Amino acid sequence: MIFSPLFASSGPVTHIAPGVIFHLFGWPITNSVFYGWISIVLMSIAFITVAHRIRVKPRGGFVQYVEVAADFVVSTIESAFEDKSKARKYTPYFITLFFFLLANNLLGLIPGVGDSVVYNSVPFLRPFTADFNATIAAAVITMGLVYTASIKEMGGKKYIRHFFMGSPKNPLYLVLGLIEMMTDLTRVISLSIRLFLNITIVEIIVVVFAYLGHIIAPLTAAPFYLIDAFDDMLQAFIFVLLAVMYIATAVNHVGGEDLTEENNTDRVGANPSETVAKAA
Amino acid sequence: MITLADTINTAIIGKGLMIGGGFIGPGIGMGLVGGSYLQAVGRNPEASKFLGQALVFVAIIELYALLAFASIFIVK
Repeated sequence: MIFSPLFASSGPVTHIAPGVIFHLFGWPITNSVFYGWISIVLMSIAFITVAHRIRVKPRGGFVQYVEVAADFVVSTIESAFEDKSKARKYTPYFITLFFFLLANNLLGLIPGVGDSVVYNSVPFLRPFTADFNATIAAAVITMGLVYTASIKEMGGKKYIRHFFMGSPKNPLYLVLGLIEMMTDLTRVISLSIRLFLNITIVEIIVVVFAYLGHIIAPLTAAPFYLIDAFDDMLQAFIFVLLAVMYIATAVNHVGGEDLTEENNTDRVGANPSETVAKAA
Repeated sequence: MITLADTINTAIIGKGLMIGGGFIGPGIGMGLVGGSYLQAVGRNPEASKFLGQALVFVAIIELYALLAFASIFIVK
């Protein structure tokens, strides 16, 4: 019956958690982890090839798209930091993170990934970032870098001190400072939950609208498929943008005064007449 | 004796209320963010470079809508 979806007695098959597909040395290997390995191999091949083909005058093709995307991330990072040399220091990690998340999000859009190919009653392939374990690992590593960088730039004592607005001996400022510390820790959870839920739920929405479409499933699912593609790119960017903002607020906190002083000396040195006048 | 809960699937109603109620707030919030961004660009076209910052707030709000959507899976 064509109108059977209107009387939805049984909904579409959706999975919010990854399933175990096989065991390796007694370790359960889920479909997300398996697809993550595949994506690592594919990305290694693609980016090593790109790295060998980079020229001063680009010839177009895939290399140029990678360059544009990398340039976009670099400009985002540089605009967040006041000191450009410090921005350069953290750039490699964020570019790696951006491309890893982007590739893993977009790999979920390939036909055949998800419930269309079922093995051991679970989908054979599932995007790596649609697994909470994967996103929380990414968030823990990123926030670990943020905390390490903050402590390195500020020094341990000053880092603890910057949570408190006033003296920690004042009970009000003590409580507010402790709340501020807790808020800092919840960033790990919010980063990971945002990425995981976005990727998983947008995939579920595509499945739901393909199910509602019944015989014209491609037509009803197509707009949501495009939303999925847009959201995948946006979430990879937002993960990186938020991490950059967290790290930039901590690093910019220290280097303000040194920067202006350095600029002044640069300006004096760059202007020959001024230097001569100073010498005279 | 047949109760109301036996005749109709109350979980469906619960899920519907969850989605409806949970999406009102984030929907209004996202509208305010987008509206404020466009207003700022309309007054001062140089403010269009702050799209990244506007997207950060969209991402923060969107998390609450996603939490509402994810909670329907715990209703049986």
